[in-house]
Amino acid sequence: MKKLSLAAVLTGIGLLVSGAPAGAHHSFAAEYDAAKPVTLKGVVSKIEWTNPHARFYIDVKDETGTHTWNLELASPNVLSRNGWTRRTLNIGDEIKVEGSLAKDGSKMANARVVTLASGKRVFAGSSADAEGGPAAPATGR
Amino acid sequence: MKVRRILLGVALAAVAVPLLVAQAQNPTAPAGSGGLNTGRGRGAAAPAGPAPKLANGHPDFSGVWQGGGPVGDLEQGMPKGEKIPLNAEGTRVMASRQSKDDPEANCLPTGVPRIAPYPWRMLQTPTHVFILFEGNIHSYRQIFVDGRKHPEDPDPTWYGHSVGHYEGNTLVVDTVGFNDRFWFDFRGHPHSEKLHTLERYTRTDMGSLVVETTITDPVYYSKPFTIKFTARLRPGEELMEYICQENEQDVDHIKGPAGTP
Repeated sequence: MKKLSLAAVLTGIGLLVSGAPAGAHHSFAAEYDAAKPVTLKGVVSKIEWTNPHARFYIDVKDETGTHTWNLELASPNVLSRNGWTRRTLNIGDEIKVEGSLAKDGSKMANARVVTLASGKRVFAGSSADAEGGPAAPATGR
Repeated sequence: MKVRRILLGVALAAVAVPLLVAQAQNPTAPAGSGGLNTGRGRGAAAPAGPAPKLANGHPDFSGVWQGGGPVGDLEQGMPKGEKIPLNAEGTRVMASRQSKDDPEANCLPTGVPRIAPYPWRMLQTPTHVFILFEGNIHSYRQIFVDGRKHPEDPDPTWYGHSVGHYEGNTLVVDTVGFNDRFWFDFRGHPHSEKLHTLERYTRTDMGSLVVETTITDPVYYSKPFTIKFTARLRPGEELMEYICQENEQDVDHIKGPAGTP
């Protein structure tokens, strides 16, 4: 069997994971703080399959009560190019979200990875990843 | 062998999982590190071969493209080590800009030469060339290739007044009549209504479209300068609807001075 280099395989996985470019219409760093990662578990209460970002809302319970969080995904176009549909998330699903908190302290985050009710972890094609988009050095000079 | 076992496991997982397996990605990773903007369409192989030509001998720019202009930072298009020649006023205006005011974030057009991180398509006719943008706004540029000149005193617009002609394998597009409202990138590089752009589109092979843009704006720059970006073909891809205004919630949460990205 022909040996594949680890680098080549990892590159291949990278393409599979992010073959379609993510996109954001705003600077990620201006809205979210990459240094403030957050993991939230809750129940999906609303889904907005809309531009410029698809959003979903989850109800998270803690000792002080139930709080609704607003979670930003990439645009529906980026998501669907990454294999999502508007039915990937459903109202009532218990899910886990890993992402970055909004800088202004509101109950808002940029979702990067979503663990679905089935246990499947899906890449959110979030605006966090838009930084590797067409501004990438490979496309400049 | 351990590595091979890992690779086999990884390969099986990649095939078995219908949705893409989440791979923790560092949002602060340098641009280009995530394998994004690879130019690959929906599962299609990377395009190869020479650039095609139209029946009339002009270069054929058909297809869906990604990139070809600045998104986060105009300076990425400069020759290595060279700075954008901002003058004092340009430096002052740029330093005063707040990220929340970026027209792109507010669902307004990119202008020229900025490109949104969404695909676009070029449509050539004998009299007009259209550039159809999926996003950031679902709009288009119109380039007259019927030999007409610019109007004497065009009213300012987001995409300006563009006239083009072919020089061998290159489409040359001359644009004036811009408004001063769009930014060149997330960093907020400015321009005035005196902006003049000269773009040269050259399809260097099947999958690559080089876009060189000479920017002249004496109000904010000390001399003309040329940036160069390469758009990549996305075979098998089609443009999709993208209506930025339908649920824009970001601007109210965006804080701080304009910066990368």
